[in-house]
Amino acid sequence: MSVIIAFSMDEALRALAAHPDALILSGGTDLLVEINEGHRRLGSSSADIATSPTVLAVDRLSELRSWTIDLERSQVHIGAGVTWSELVSEPLAGLIPALAEASRTVGSPQIRNAGTLGGNLGTCSPAGDGLPVLAALEAVVHLRSATHQRDLPVAEFMVGVKRTARLPGELITGVTLPIINGWQGYSKVGVRNAMVIATASTALVADRTKRQIRVALGSVGPTVLRCSEAETMLSAAVDWENGGVGSDQLREFGGLVAAASRPIDDHRSSAAYRRHSVGVMAQRLARRAFPLESGPPGQGKSSGI
Amino acid sequence: MAGSILGNRVLRKEDPKFLTSGGVYLDDLEDERLTGAVYVAYVRSQVAHGVISSIDLSEAVEMPGVIGVFTAASLNLAEVPSAFNPAVTRTYLATDKVRYVGEPVAAVVAETYEQAVDAAAMVYADIDALPALVDIEEAMASDNLLYEAAGSNVVFDTTALGLPENTGGEFFADCEVVVEGRFINQRVAPCPLESRAAAAAWVDGRLIQWLSTQHAQGALATIIAANGLEASQVRIITPDVGGGFGAKIGTYPEEILLGRLAKEVGRPVRFRETRSESMMALGHGRAQVQYVTIGGRRDGKVTHYRMQVYQDAGAFVDMGSILAPFMTRPMASAVYDIPNIEVRTTSVVTNTTPTVAYRGAGRPEATAAAERAMDMFAAEIGMDAAEVRRVNLIPKFLEPHTTAVGQTYDVGNYEVAMDKAMQAAGYAELRVEQAARRASGNPVQIGIGVSVYVEITGGVQPMGEAAKIEVHEDGSASIYTGTSPHGQGHDTSWSMIASEQTGIPMDRITLVWGDTDLVPVGGGTMGSRSLQQGGAAVNKAAIELVEQARSLAATLLEADEADIVLDTDSGNFHVAGTPAVSTTWADLAVAATTNADFPDGLTHETRFEASGATFPFGAHVAVVEVDTETGKVRHIRHVACDDAGRVLNPLLLEGQIHGGVAQGTAQALLEEVRYDSDGNPVTSNLADYAMISAAELPSFEVVHMETPTPINPLGAKGIGESGTIGSTPAVQSAVVDALAHLGVRHVDMPTTPEKVWKAIAAASN
Repeated sequence: MSVIIAFSMDEALRALAAHPDALILSGGTDLLVEINEGHRRLGSSSADIATSPTVLAVDRLSELRSWTIDLERSQVHIGAGVTWSELVSEPLAGLIPALAEASRTVGSPQIRNAGTLGGNLGTCSPAGDGLPVLAALEAVVHLRSATHQRDLPVAEFMVGVKRTARLPGELITGVTLPIINGWQGYSKVGVRNAMVIATASTALVADRTKRQIRVALGSVGPTVLRCSEAETMLSAAVDWENGGVGSDQLREFGGLVAAASRPIDDHRSSAAYRRHSVGVMAQRLARRAFPLESGPPGQGKSSGI
Repeated sequence: MAGSILGNRVLRKEDPKFLTSGGVYLDDLEDERLTGAVYVAYVRSQVAHGVISSIDLSEAVEMPGVIGVFTAASLNLAEVPSAFNPAVTRTYLATDKVRYVGEPVAAVVAETYEQAVDAAAMVYADIDALPALVDIEEAMASDNLLYEAAGSNVVFDTTALGLPENTGGEFFADCEVVVEGRFINQRVAPCPLESRAAAAAWVDGRLIQWLSTQHAQGALATIIAANGLEASQVRIITPDVGGGFGAKIGTYPEEILLGRLAKEVGRPVRFRETRSESMMALGHGRAQVQYVTIGGRRDGKVTHYRMQVYQDAGAFVDMGSILAPFMTRPMASAVYDIPNIEVRTTSVVTNTTPTVAYRGAGRPEATAAAERAMDMFAAEIGMDAAEVRRVNLIPKFLEPHTTAVGQTYDVGNYEVAMDKAMQAAGYAELRVEQAARRASGNPVQIGIGVSVYVEITGGVQPMGEAAKIEVHEDGSASIYTGTSPHGQGHDTSWSMIASEQTGIPMDRITLVWGDTDLVPVGGGTMGSRSLQQGGAAVNKAAIELVEQARSLAATLLEADEADIVLDTDSGNFHVAGTPAVSTTWADLAVAATTNADFPDGLTHETRFEASGATFPFGAHVAVVEVDTETGKVRHIRHVACDDAGRVLNPLLLEGQIHGGVAQGTAQALLEEVRYDSDGNPVTSNLADYAMISAAELPSFEVVHMETPTPINPLGAKGIGESGTIGSTPAVQSAVVDALAHLGVRHVDMPTTPEKVWKAIAAASN
């Protein structure tokens, strides 16, 4: 195994051009665990060095570690090397609260200080906590190589279980997210209250400008899933003016979200429980977005949920 | 005169060190005898059950830094029989068969830890897989045997001890109500924060072995035998130990082999395991399936109780296999006066990590079964679960009481403990709140669980302990104890006891333990025995030392011995009525060096023998909120009334209760070691194994109660395991109680959201 430490974007892209299949190391909270647990063999004998992948460390690139706010276009650009801890802090937390909420559920403070949003994208685990939020916000992923750069909607970037549309030689440089007018939130089921991998997760965005509900689910499919039928249904059912929705509509919405999930049974949970839980989470997130009980019957009552 | 220090909230002497510079744990040790030490990493089986056809070391030996790679064959390891079933034998590195994932197969010694780990990954064991037996009941019925020589996967059974088999349905013929249950008391991992580490060095023909252990003296015989040595040729040293919870009582192959490996490579060796290794190879706890039948009258009186326990021994016959017969069975009657009881326990080997003692070790299992059974009996007759307990509790006794299963308890006052806990919890108000919550239709419901328990502490041989106190010429003292602190606060406790008797200030007393050259005999720390036996021994040694010092003081002060008194405030001896004519411990220690009656100086060693075990008891009330839509449980209150006899230091007592309640709650709600059907562990890291954290726990409410035992002069019973024993059934019961109105009668532990959700769904169908 050989390790290249890049100190500038140019260096990183040149190294990637020379080693298009290099493993990209940033916070190391996914990659090093895979290596230490033996899920990824880097080869340690001299015979393996020729065939083992090169590791490219990009954690020193200031371009990746910064973020910018563009109020004119109502969007935020977040470098791939921005950590969970930074996402939890202001001003990003106030601009993208669902991402802050998701970031807060990642690991421990030590892990949040090391782990990055770009790493979450690069690993593309179905359980990646940042990904449902990026999907529900319809973020754009920026990729660069020595010869080109391109942008991809996050939904096109995430291809499958730990599979992305990133091509050999490309580096994830960051994402652009809209600052939306409306409520957004993230909810997660895990084995305890902290330091857990999501058994199932749900992000919901209520975009008042577009009058559109967007929902994305984690850990219930090969990659993050959107729920178009449920989104259409609820977008039409809510009272955008007053922030209300009827309990019957919520139940229908929960059912549609559950139906959109494609979970599997594994050691963390049964598929049935995963399906059920995303339905409950979606209803509860929607109730937080639209706290008033409205629509037939009874208008303007507050709900107990 | 100042009052006694005993019974006061004395801060831990240990803590300034642990909180500032930190403890010196085994892998932190810098010792000149370990100069030039090399590292050992073990190659572990990745197959749960199989026959080894070959082990290929050729690539590993070529790896950088490798000094040697060893197998059972190259070390010529002998078969070692289980202490509890001689037909079951193993070698410390697997030879013909592997029996669980994580079993050591080969050992790599390399210059650095990293090199050893990398080289271990290059050893290839060719293993022909056999079907893995993960389920206890399946293993019992299978003729796919883990140990052919044993003739069965059943390796220990109470019937083989001459105890009767359980009878048939006629046992309950006189009962108006009979309720049956099958309860899983699941396998859990002890998870000490310090995982295992060890080291070995040969110094002038002697083996010095460092262990992170609860019982250095207990490890001696094993280490001596494994190295073919005389007793005088082995020294075990215990540095600071970061938790054990029972799993560090015994000695493991990875530790036992270090002397051999050090000899082979001619260098000192060190070993440490990763958390994932620890989750697979440090012993697990609990692991019982219990079939319980309870019978009685509609007025609430329970008259008959039966248990059939299947104990999962894991892949060897270690201590876990004998806890069911020798700890669970004797405690089957729990706190209840049940006239007819029968219990059979059957221990079975499976292709899983061997089970060992874990905090409570057999008693929590007995309590959990009895408490679940009482709850189900109460539900069946429509009576409040606390009331059913009240009807059946053994009335207060201050003389020994023997239960129908034949176990004698020292003292008990169970109803008062239950009343205290229920009163502190506000039981009646909680029931009102629960009714209101149910009426509201809120998806988040409240559950209240009450458990009453009794357990055995200090119940394992030897029921005695030695202590030595040595007074130094500067007036300070050292206490030598055969107990072995690993978080409990022995330094504080033993100093308090010795200071109380001698007047030597606590901060001038040093504790010596866990070094077999300095403390050759000792029972270690396990089974909540330390204070009642080790502490009692320190107390006895201090009293006797004072007597000897008095005679020496009489000589120095030229007075009659009968006139000499010790002022424990000043620590000075003087003639009664003439405090100005005095002598100090320092004077006496100096005088002793030239006195023929004190060949070893001012030192006294003695032994305390307890006449029996003690039986701490108590009651816990747990309150939970259960989200009936997601199944999530929030533990919102926990009241613990634990009677451990006379309390030496309430601060240490509460620390034990807090930790115990946390671990007991963890079993009820979160923790479970699981395997897939091929025997692969699926919970071998702390992301998948839901070890509890403060974020899942409420602030604990501790209610004091003291019923001294006559078994030792301190009046003390054990407290180390009570919190664990009382809390698990209370929390489990609370979860079930929250769902009672939905028709749920039982949810197996851990009561995860998914299990709760499924239980609700099953009850509504």
